[in-house]
Amino acid sequence: MRIIIVGSGEVGYHIARRLSAENKDVVIIDLNPEVLERVGERLDVETVLGSGSSPRVLEEAGVKQADILLAVTDSDEINLIACTFSNILAPKLTKVARIRNPEYTDYKDILASDLHIDIVINPEQEVIGSIERLMSTPGAAEVSEFPDVNITLAGMWIRDNCPLAGMNLAELKQAVGIDGFIVGAIVRGEKLIIPSGKHKVLPGDMMYFVCAHQDLEGVLKAFGASTGSQHKVLIIGGGNIGFKLAQNLEQKKGLQVKIMDRERSRCDFLAQNLTRTIVLQGDGSDQRLLTEENVGSMDVVVSVTGDEENNVLCSLLAKNMGAKLTVTRINKFAYLPLMRAVGLEHIVSPRLSAANSILRHVRKGAVISSISIKEDAEALEIVAREDSPLVGRPIKDLDFPSGAIVLCMVRGKQVIIPTGESVIQPQDKVMIMSTSKHISDVEKKIT
Amino acid sequence: MRWAFILQVAGLIILFVGLTMLVPLGFSLVAKDGTALSFIQAMLFCIAAGGGLFLVFRTDKGHTITHREGMCIVTLGWIGAGLSGALPFYLSGSIPGFTDCVFETFSGFTTTGSTILGDIESLPSSILMWRSQTQWLGGMGIVLLSLAILPFLGVGGMQLYKAEVPGPTPDKLRPRIRDTARLLWQVYLLLSALQFLFLLAGGMSFSDSLSHTFTTMPTGGFSPKNASIGHYDSVYFDLVITFFMFMAGVNFVLHFQLLRRNPSTWWRSPEFKFYLLVTLGVTLIVTWCIYGSVYSSLGQALRYSLFQVVSIFTTTGYATADYELWGPLAQFLLLLCMIVGGSAGSTAGGVKCMRVIILIKQAQRELMRLVHPRAVVPIKLGGKLVSDEILSGIVGFFLLYLALAALSMCILAALGLDLLTSIGAVIACISNIGPGLGQVGPTDNFGHLPALGKWVLTFCMLLGRLEIYTVIVLFSGEFWRS
Repeated sequence: MRIIIVGSGEVGYHIARRLSAENKDVVIIDLNPEVLERVGERLDVETVLGSGSSPRVLEEAGVKQADILLAVTDSDEINLIACTFSNILAPKLTKVARIRNPEYTDYKDILASDLHIDIVINPEQEVIGSIERLMSTPGAAEVSEFPDVNITLAGMWIRDNCPLAGMNLAELKQAVGIDGFIVGAIVRGEKLIIPSGKHKVLPGDMMYFVCAHQDLEGVLKAFGASTGSQHKVLIIGGGNIGFKLAQNLEQKKGLQVKIMDRERSRCDFLAQNLTRTIVLQGDGSDQRLLTEENVGSMDVVVSVTGDEENNVLCSLLAKNMGAKLTVTRINKFAYLPLMRAVGLEHIVSPRLSAANSILRHVRKGAVISSISIKEDAEALEIVAREDSPLVGRPIKDLDFPSGAIVLCMVRGKQVIIPTGESVIQPQDKVMIMSTSKHISDVEKKIT
Repeated sequence: MRWAFILQVAGLIILFVGLTMLVPLGFSLVAKDGTALSFIQAMLFCIAAGGGLFLVFRTDKGHTITHREGMCIVTLGWIGAGLSGALPFYLSGSIPGFTDCVFETFSGFTTTGSTILGDIESLPSSILMWRSQTQWLGGMGIVLLSLAILPFLGVGGMQLYKAEVPGPTPDKLRPRIRDTARLLWQVYLLLSALQFLFLLAGGMSFSDSLSHTFTTMPTGGFSPKNASIGHYDSVYFDLVITFFMFMAGVNFVLHFQLLRRNPSTWWRSPEFKFYLLVTLGVTLIVTWCIYGSVYSSLGQALRYSLFQVVSIFTTTGYATADYELWGPLAQFLLLLCMIVGGSAGSTAGGVKCMRVIILIKQAQRELMRLVHPRAVVPIKLGGKLVSDEILSGIVGFFLLYLALAALSMCILAALGLDLLTSIGAVIACISNIGPGLGQVGPTDNFGHLPALGKWVLTFCMLLGRLEIYTVIVLFSGEFWRS
């Protein structure tokens, strides 16, 4: 599969690295020769110097032979033009554009029908979605959904006081007692384990599991994680993300939302456009202001200013003053591993969200969608076609690589947790967990 | 300041008032009540004086009206209309004394409805028709009518419009001010025609129907009957008049939206919601106050309470009952309603619901700021931002309203009137209600007040109708400095 990526910023680089690790042919287009040189040194990809908005450059990058074009520069306009020209040069190409400005995204229909952009990714929208999911399930550190089959993939930290810590997975299944609950991956330190029934969960592990959407709260409760809903929310930073989040939250009954921004003029804008939210002018790292506004009694503090160091400080301060849950926005991927070390569990990143949602759409053929776990593994949702090699054999005979397992099958509305003897039937939707290394093996097995 | 131009326009308004006397003249000729000559004299005087001013000061220079000139024209125009409108009363001798004639005319044009007459029914019918007609002309505004009819006032007419139309921020319905003025008068005319037909259908005589229509739509309150609407003692008339009084207290922009088939604007308007809720709430409380103590049946209590609350709240001032017998709570609520008045952009007087809502929001904002010193709290009305200039204008208006009312009360008290009468008379006049409390209650009249008191109250009526700023600014030193 040949994939062209326009723009090698954080998002483009991240996607390129993931895809090239899966043995895909990746071509990166960028204007900056130094950046391009570095990318070429570090990754096994082809690089083309030039602007992605130029049809000549696109042709040079082989747009006519490509399967997918990902336009992910920081400029909406360049992304739009790149997609438009690609559509003229190669109409069958799948085009994905990263577009942030709501002036454009409000016209989604036109983008799809007249500009023929197949998928529009708005990183800010994705981040707002993940913040809202985290708020509704505060016990989980990550929540993603396979919307069409009503299955949730969630990650949670196993705490020292977790009642189920130390059990192996077979015991765990008994203890949780919810049908359709299965552990898909355990991250211990730097290592990702695709577990079997004998593996144990230990305090400090990040455990990924799937379950039906409505069972999520029950599973979290069984692990002793805090559940329950939030009432008092403080948003630090009134940029696009903070503003949209406040707009969504203030429509929910029983929520008290406060939003804080440093700029007076931005506060005026926020106050005019929000109805129930209290708008405060001030710095989120100003301890006196936080005390005055009673941060200690907040259920959630969301730090989403444009300055990520400041976000980390605000979240730490809020946590220290007694806020129950903090959500922190980070941009640089390099900071992500540090966050657990300083005690911040709930992290969102517009770029990571953008990269992940773009990767979900890069899969083709039988794969409907995919969700990434860290950089190391992926959960795939596959439709079992009648001629698929998956169908008609017990799972133990499928000869999957050791880094991949079948998590569950969805048959109609029923979720089936398979044993080695289970047989996949045509039209089943199958969830597969695989390490990144084995993704291409798995893809070969299923087609 | 171009005095020639100001006098020219004021002359036109006087000329205009003279021409409208054709209506009572017609009545007088039909009824043969012997007042025709006085009307002809008054008309001739107005035409001569107004036409004279117009011709003498005619200028061909551009007619762009400045802010100051606008306020001057409107105030002088209104004073001119008030004085010339008093002529038929004076010349026919139906109202003795120049002071009383002017009081009665200003009470008419400003849609107040306070009267110095004890026995109204003894007056000739054409004089009573003129008395009612002044209210109808003043309700939507004499200057606005001139704007609608006279072509050359169009340029810069916004200054005149702002100076006369009540409300903190007059709405422009059409790009051109002349079309806006026409539209407002058309809506006014349409509602008046409807009410006239409803009254006629209920069996009221032609001239009484017309008279009452003339004084309901402008929320005026003059009635050709001594006992006001109570004269008919009819549930049907009570309901029809209550409905049209209520409508007259609604912002005319909403009526216009209704004609454009946009009824949802009514529920989206925070001012209308406030107006409706206050009307219903006060009616219920007053009903509770008078049920049992004054009226033995709940239906009766509700009927009189609804009529009186709407009549007072819209600053009309009709009476079907003597609310001075209703106990202190009911009277106090009615006094508060007098101060608040109807909606901005309606024909009602008073402070106006919109200003009260914004003042309440301002108070809430201060409370909010005490709890959250760093909070940014804008004042919004119906989702739209209320700018700081409008807000300070409203606060200033309210303070001036209170200060001028207090000053007038002081003067009345100094003239020897008792406290309740002083307060009631001033609020009734400055809010353009009509009847007040104490010795000027719904069963009394203003005839027994000392002459100076009548002049003070006349001035209060003008202040109330032109919403204080337009008039009072002429008394500031800065205004006259060029």
